[in-house]
Amino acid sequence: MNSLQRNRIYDQIFKFWGIGCTLFGLVLLAVFIGDILIDGIMRIDWDFITDLPSRKAEKAGIYTALMGSIWILILTTFIAFPVGVAAGVYLEEYGGKNKFSALLEINISNLAGVPSIIYGLLGLEVFVRIMGLGASVLAGSLTLSLLILPIIIVATREAIKAVPKSIKDASYALGASKWQTIWNQVLPASSGGILTGVILALSRAVGETAPLIVVGALAYVPFAPESPMDEFSVLPIQIFNWISRPQHGFIENAAAAIIILLLITFVMNGIAVYFRNKWQKKLK
Amino acid sequence: MAKEIKIIMKKISTQVPLDKIIDPSLKKKAKIEVKDVKVWYENFNAIKGIDMNIKPNTVTAFIGPSGCGKSTFLRLFNRMNDYVEGFKMEGKIKISGNNIYKKNINVEELRKEIGMVFQKPNPFPKSIFDNISYGLKIQGITDKKLIEERVIDCLKQVALWDEVKDDLKKSAMALSGGQQQRLCIARTLAVQPSIILMDEPTSALDPISTAKIEELIFKLKEKYTIVIVTHNMQQASRISDYTAFFYLGELIEYDKTKTIFTNPEKQQTENYITGRFG
Amino acid sequence: MANAQYQRNLLNESGAEMLSLCTSQLEKAKDAFLNHDCDLAEEVVLNEVRVNALDLRIEKSCEKFLALYNPVAIDLRFIMAIRKINFDLERIADHAYSISKYVIEVDEKIPPHLFEALQFQTMYDTIVKMLEKITEAYENKDVKVARKVFKKDKILDRINAESFSVLEAEIKKDNNIISEALLLFSVIKKMERVGDLIKNIAEEIIFYIDAEVLKHKKKK
Repeated sequence: MNSLQRNRIYDQIFKFWGIGCTLFGLVLLAVFIGDILIDGIMRIDWDFITDLPSRKAEKAGIYTALMGSIWILILTTFIAFPVGVAAGVYLEEYGGKNKFSALLEINISNLAGVPSIIYGLLGLEVFVRIMGLGASVLAGSLTLSLLILPIIIVATREAIKAVPKSIKDASYALGASKWQTIWNQVLPASSGGILTGVILALSRAVGETAPLIVVGALAYVPFAPESPMDEFSVLPIQIFNWISRPQHGFIENAAAAIIILLLITFVMNGIAVYFRNKWQKKLK
Repeated sequence: MAKEIKIIMKKISTQVPLDKIIDPSLKKKAKIEVKDVKVWYENFNAIKGIDMNIKPNTVTAFIGPSGCGKSTFLRLFNRMNDYVEGFKMEGKIKISGNNIYKKNINVEELRKEIGMVFQKPNPFPKSIFDNISYGLKIQGITDKKLIEERVIDCLKQVALWDEVKDDLKKSAMALSGGQQQRLCIARTLAVQPSIILMDEPTSALDPISTAKIEELIFKLKEKYTIVIVTHNMQQASRISDYTAFFYLGELIEYDKTKTIFTNPEKQQTENYITGRFG
Repeated sequence: MANAQYQRNLLNESGAEMLSLCTSQLEKAKDAFLNHDCDLAEEVVLNEVRVNALDLRIEKSCEKFLALYNPVAIDLRFIMAIRKINFDLERIADHAYSISKYVIEVDEKIPPHLFEALQFQTMYDTIVKMLEKITEAYENKDVKVARKVFKKDKILDRINAESFSVLEAEIKKDNNIISEALLLFSVIKKMERVGDLIKNIAEEIIFYIDAEVLKHKKKK
């Protein structure tokens, strides 16, 4: 057979291999979601969402954990978003091309790969003990902010890099200062990419369990947090707690809670995708 | 905002002659004096000692083969080279008598006097109106009436008004290439510079758009001093009053366009314009 | 293309200026010769400087236009035509100049019966008409009007052809008029050549407007 036919065969082989790999991931995901749905969808009703946790499976609800997750989400957003974006803007726009900047860049990427439990330990020592915040929502948010900060910084830098240099040139040529250019042109143009990155980072934070356990989020909390200094629990921890109970009812509860958690994640990712598409269209 | 624009559009519904709109005091006399200027990028000597005087209200064309330094030289005038790694310059450049490379020069002020139009049209991803008003916005001008009048005036100067007057809120990215470039020129005019630098402004455009912009340059000459880099010699011969021929970082010849193209002094110049070498 | 159009129009006007200048030179010269008017002849001689200056200016403008604006099609034909028209007009003015010089140098009045015999007035009128026609053709870009010139030129050719024998006869009648007769003879030759030059100009105008080359062809 000649090279033309050979190439065509390689083409087909690669195509099917690609389809196979994709399907593999999708099928597994479908199986997982299907399984969870079967186990837990029946359990979800308004009571489930508004009930406090209890030792009786039928009476146990996710209210406190859900509220805790929402508190954590909002506080983390307020802390991580401005700090991360500002750091990303500084590094990308004001940082020089010297050895120090290169070192900084490498280290930030490394931080993104550090196991999350290490962040938990750091948070425990610095926020809970040294700063005396106790096992509070604030301490948990600060810890998670540290965790997702590298992700936001990298996403911000990538989004800013994607803004064409010609836009900045045009702005400078009109007499704008560096800050005016960043505020009026670079940030609006990269906003979609930054938002996408922030939302993805936050949706990861929502699902974090280990660092919060270390910081001291409790498994049994009979009240929803009312201030940043209150103690708290979050959905993943609640799920973890229920799974370790022997009663079958709690398995159902766990499945139902997982569905809620997945729903939150999917919605956040959906919003991120929406913004990314809108952003890409605007820049065309 | 839209309602206010509609009101103003009704007022100016008939084509008002340009002279009535443009303030005659805009006619400035900005001359450029270059004395023994040298430029390095790291160790590469990009410009090797150039002297030049550009008269006000003229169109000067910079021609020469690729990489001869004409764009670099152009960007000295509005200090856009400052952003390039390893840029170093020696010598004096005086604009209207002031050395623009002095220590305490406010670069942002300089760039309001000297506008620049780039090779690839680069409108901001915003509306047509916001594109043109940007230059005013960053100066802190908030007078809405003034901004609207200036926007409309600039659109008329570049002959874009009739094509876009129905919807100034439309995204600038939806315009054609030629329209975008005219928009970029309007944007530059909005801050009322006295000098306009153009770096191969039509090389990315089709012939009709090119012709429209050349006609615009010819009109603008009355009120501005224009310096244009072009790799198209016929364009230089069509629209410029003076032509400067650059080669390998040196200024080979600088004279009236008429002379350069009928009887240049240097053999190198003649070789270049007759196409005897690249 | 504003600049190119503007320059093109300037050149067009220069052409019209040259036309009118050379036309007036020729007419003055003929009048001076007909009426032996030395003052008028002086005027023509002095004006020659203007003609030469305008000629050089048009030459330079054509060179500049070709160098700067790369004309094509009708613009290119225009430049090619105007250079030749300019050249022909300059020669017409030269003839006017030499006729005027005759009037000044040769202080003899030509007897009227000689003018009649040689149909000088007819030649004069014909040439005036031909000049009017090409001026009209140039200004209105009218090819039809330009073509009328060819027929008229035949009148001049005929008169010129007859002139030799007519003058021979006149001289035989009266020997004293030999010098005047010879002078008249050479002026008539000049007028015939002027007619040919006007014909050339008409050909150039037709070339420029219609892209039709009439040189070396039989004209109707």
